Amino acid sequence: MPPVNGTFCVTVMKDRCINASMPGKCATCVEVCPHDVYAIDDSGNVYVQNYNACVGCRICAEFCPEDAIRINPAESEFLVRSPWTFPQIEEIHYKAQTGQYQLRGFGTMGSYVPSFDSITIVPSQISSPPPRDKYREECNMEVVIGEGTCEHPIRLHYPFVFPAMSFGALSREARMALAIGAAQTGIISDTGEGGLVEDETWLIKGFENKERTLKRWEPGGYLVVQWSTGRWGVSADYVRAGDAVEIKVGQGAKPGMGGHLLGAKVTAEVAGVRGIPVGTDALSPCRYYDVTDPADMKHMVDLVRDITEYKVPVLFKLGPSRPYEDVKACVEAGADMISIDGMVGGTGASPAVVTQGVGIPTLALIPPAVQALKDMGVHRKVKLFVLGGMRNGLDAYKAMAMGADGVGFGAAAEIAMGCRACMSCSTGKCAYGICAQDPVLRSRLIPEEAGNRLANFIKATAEEVKILTMLSGHDCIQDLCEEDLRAMDLNVAAITGLKLVGYEKRLPWWENGRAN
Amino acid sequence: MPPVVDAKGRDLRSVSAELKKKIAEGPVTIKGAAHLHGLVAGFKSGEVTIQGNAGDYLGALNDGATIHVLRNAGNYLADNMTHGLVVVEGNAGYGAGAYCYGGTAVVKGNAGDFTAVMNKGASIIINGNVGDEVATYMLAGNLVIVGNAGKNLGNYLIRGDIYIGGEWESLGHNTLLAEMGESDLAKLRSHFADHGIQADPASFKKIVRKSEKPFYK
Repeated sequence: MPPVNGTFCVTVMKDRCINASMPGKCATCVEVCPHDVYAIDDSGNVYVQNYNACVGCRICAEFCPEDAIRINPAESEFLVRSPWTFPQIEEIHYKAQTGQYQLRGFGTMGSYVPSFDSITIVPSQISSPPPRDKYREECNMEVVIGEGTCEHPIRLHYPFVFPAMSFGALSREARMALAIGAAQTGIISDTGEGGLVEDETWLIKGFENKERTLKRWEPGGYLVVQWSTGRWGVSADYVRAGDAVEIKVGQGAKPGMGGHLLGAKVTAEVAGVRGIPVGTDALSPCRYYDVTDPADMKHMVDLVRDITEYKVPVLFKLGPSRPYEDVKACVEAGADMISIDGMVGGTGASPAVVTQGVGIPTLALIPPAVQALKDMGVHRKVKLFVLGGMRNGLDAYKAMAMGADGVGFGAAAEIAMGCRACMSCSTGKCAYGICAQDPVLRSRLIPEEAGNRLANFIKATAEEVKILTMLSGHDCIQDLCEEDLRAMDLNVAAITGLKLVGYEKRLPWWENGRAN
Repeated sequence: MPPVVDAKGRDLRSVSAELKKKIAEGPVTIKGAAHLHGLVAGFKSGEVTIQGNAGDYLGALNDGATIHVLRNAGNYLADNMTHGLVVVEGNAGYGAGAYCYGGTAVVKGNAGDFTAVMNKGASIIINGNVGDEVATYMLAGNLVIVGNAGKNLGNYLIRGDIYIGGEWESLGHNTLLAEMGESDLAKLRSHFADHGIQADPASFKKIVRKSEKPFYK
């Protein structure tokens, strides 16, 4: 079968091309191209004689001594070359050259994962409770975690958290910014599994100094310390430093694997906090070495509660696996809150095949997770937070209407700080100082400025949730329900159990409550 | 006579509360505690003796206390300890000394699989035999095994030293046998003297890591 023609645009940058300024001096592209895309005239000028013949092999670009050629697809490569797109080809080349698989940051990319974009919100009109006035009426967005189970439950100002992003994966400055952002908005910042940056403990409470005499930010936030399979930087003092302890079972970007921090990012500072040699890869185990059955997990929760003197909530974080059974297990172990992180969730480093192809879409986790809580009689008591690709107030509203109590903004928080989603997090070369350990790159991130950006993002997103909550007839986010949503296609209706637009009913196998 | 806390039929919370009150005044003995998991967790000081057996997670996150078990301990002894001393006169179960950052854990009998897994700086001394996968992904500290070890000893060892007086079924990835030096012999002599262990340091073998970056180049 001949190659498809006319699918590539051939661009030669004349300001770089040797031949353009000195005809006859270079004709590499003519020599290497086997498809006669290029030609040379009698005066020595090279020109594109037939761009339709270009098959996208890019050999001209690779051999051009001045990097003057660009070959770009005229149509999306997914339409004309899938599955052999340019990224796929490059990945195979990388493995062939190095014998190693690719690692990258961020989460699942691409539009094939079912998403919240296929859900719409049902506004109030005449047959339902009237809409509420966003500009002149109040909307209750408080979420309480650990009420009745500990001395100091957490009272979130907004139903949002900054989920676990470790020091090491993130720079010290980014960790400080998250604390400042949380302090200004009354929400949670989670340490992740990299140990504690000491500054976070006072910044999160709104103080700008260790002595806690200068209060800069109200109302103050909440620090959650993470307890993970690697136990990096964990001690009794660390566990007691938090307003809650989160037991990490998994994460969306690499479920079934542990945290990854590559040696290039294990600086003396990071190593000191984690207690490991400088430059070594910090690869958390995929499971707890000190848990071999469900009873052990319950005992672990008990000892965490005992060490913290029953003062703070205990949270769990799950990756996307079997949400019904996993949520049940967390409740049985004693969780006050469960965060469930969908496959779109991001990371600082993970094998690309795992990030791209393992797990369950965030959207599909919510119905079984909520059902588990309802079946155990603890829905709205044990809080459910949804993580993994949450972008804005729309996503947050939809997750909460499906039964979640709140959402986490991880990648979105990084983007609020300046990230451009280049996926180079694992290299330590973050140009914005967010995921970098290089002092020069880190100097580009000013914690207070980034913290203000985070606070702005949270407040604006909260306003979006307020708009959507009130236009659908509610003045409290806890009143959101599935009736406020409609699935816009059969696929999402089948996955979520939401009523389908037009049909105005759930698909038949959801009619009785839960699909078998 | 130190005060005795009777833990029989009681839950962790109530025993722990009583222990915290009494330990401020001096050493405490606990009896009937074999059913409790997570006892004496996170203490910064004090001296506790467990009469009889201890449950799982005894001395977890120990940060300075001295804990003495007169018989056997369950699984995950001294889990994630940072300072202090834990001594078991009998045997310990699975995962003794897992995740520790510091302190010393001594088991006079045998210990189970995954002993000293992810040890990051403690001294863990086993006077008997240990199971499989011992010292997996150890990152610092010392492990001393007077008896024999099972499969995959020191698997993906990153740093720290393993000393073994007996034999092993197999060595794990990234391990090497190294020569015992004077400092190693002195270290073992000191440990043995401190804890009444009868063994000849000169007969021990030393296992160290091959590479600090065995996973990704």
